[in-house]
Amino acid sequence: MKKMTTRFLMACAAIGAATGVLLIPTNFAAFSVSASVPLAYAPMVGLWIIGPVVALAVLRRPGSAVLTTFIAGVISIPTPAGPSAVVTCLMVGTAIELGFLVTRYRVWAPWLFHLTAAVFTVLYALSAYAAFDISTMPAWAQVVFFALMLGSQAAFTALGLVVARRLEATGVARGIAPRRTVPEA
Amino acid sequence: MTVTDLRSYNPLVKVLGPIPAMVVAIGSRDPVTPALFAALALALLLAGGRLPARTLGLVVAGTTALVGVMTVSFGAWTDPALVDHTHALVRLGPLTLWSGALENGLATGLRVAAVVLLALVSGLTTDGADLVRAMITQLRLPYRVGYAGLAAMRFVPRFGQELETIRSAHRVRRVAGGRGPVAAVGRQLGYAIPLLAGGMRHADRVSLSMEARGFGAHPTRTERRHVPFRLRDVVLLTALVASALLLPLVSGGPR
Repeated sequence: MKKMTTRFLMACAAIGAATGVLLIPTNFAAFSVSASVPLAYAPMVGLWIIGPVVALAVLRRPGSAVLTTFIAGVISIPTPAGPSAVVTCLMVGTAIELGFLVTRYRVWAPWLFHLTAAVFTVLYALSAYAAFDISTMPAWAQVVFFALMLGSQAAFTALGLVVARRLEATGVARGIAPRRTVPEA
Repeated sequence: MTVTDLRSYNPLVKVLGPIPAMVVAIGSRDPVTPALFAALALALLLAGGRLPARTLGLVVAGTTALVGVMTVSFGAWTDPALVDHTHALVRLGPLTLWSGALENGLATGLRVAAVVLLALVSGLTTDGADLVRAMITQLRLPYRVGYAGLAAMRFVPRFGQELETIRSAHRVRRVAGGRGPVAAVGRQLGYAIPLLAGGMRHADRVSLSMEARGFGAHPTRTERRHVPFRLRDVVLLTALVASALLLPLVSGGPR
């Protein structure tokens, strides 16, 4: 807690607010799409991942993903998901954070972002399996469902990393992110 | 604030209380269990929501439409091999709609409707700022983190103004010209970076002014607005958790 400067907290609030604004229409779309064409819901999963990815990649501090998603959840309360959006978002943030926690916040290479996001997506797909009763669908539809979810996750993680790199170039994270002494791989 | 008003309950109970029920509803396979949970959530909203007639109408019409659409669409997505022992209802060329598939779709629709309605119990009766305050008071969330959430709510309208400024600036400099959907997507992405960078710069200034006013100097903080945790909250929480355990028994157990 001592290490969390107000500046860091507010930076997370800014990224979280932007993510929340993105998630408000997404929540509405997700509800209507998942009702009619369940397969079309799968590519939207990545939208939940982009916020914590940007926060972690730019701020490079423990807790940035969890904090950002907490705030994104608070912002996206006025949607069909309601305050349970906070729970959903925190779940995503914690999952993304875990990969960096187990490497003790020393590895910031793109592969770790992709790996963590992929692990989360697989776990999430399994829970969606139960909710949408995917197992009763034809085999090809199940394969497409999984492929679309993983594809969307990979695409949005990559997009998040691009956004993070451009944000870093503007210099806004200077003084928040730890200084990098070792050149990146 | 009477006991029958859901707004007088603690936001945490309304948000976290229905979660066991949601998990049970998602895990069920028959149509009866989720229907019972949906009915329970609707009853709560009717009894204590104090909702305007228009909102209530939208909720009822919306969930009914949701169940209807999902019955047909998920029915159509169901693997025919699983249900072709039931009787066929409609034949459209190569497509056959089996009654078993419809039943399957109905169960899925009711499951999602139950989860949506359970989420709406808190969604329609809770203020986001109150939820944050309850998290600080009852969940011992560090108040500095909670206030980051409250500050973020103020950032949202700012993003709107900022976006207008960026859009005008881009237009004046003819950044990302061109027509058509591809150029439009490119333009939106072009707005994202300055918007985020501007937001973070604003966040820097906000944090400076907050610290200048002594924010975070003390380990605790007093609140002007209190969110109490009362006996009624214990009752509602117990009832919600008990419903998650008992309703599946009423409907004949999870299959």
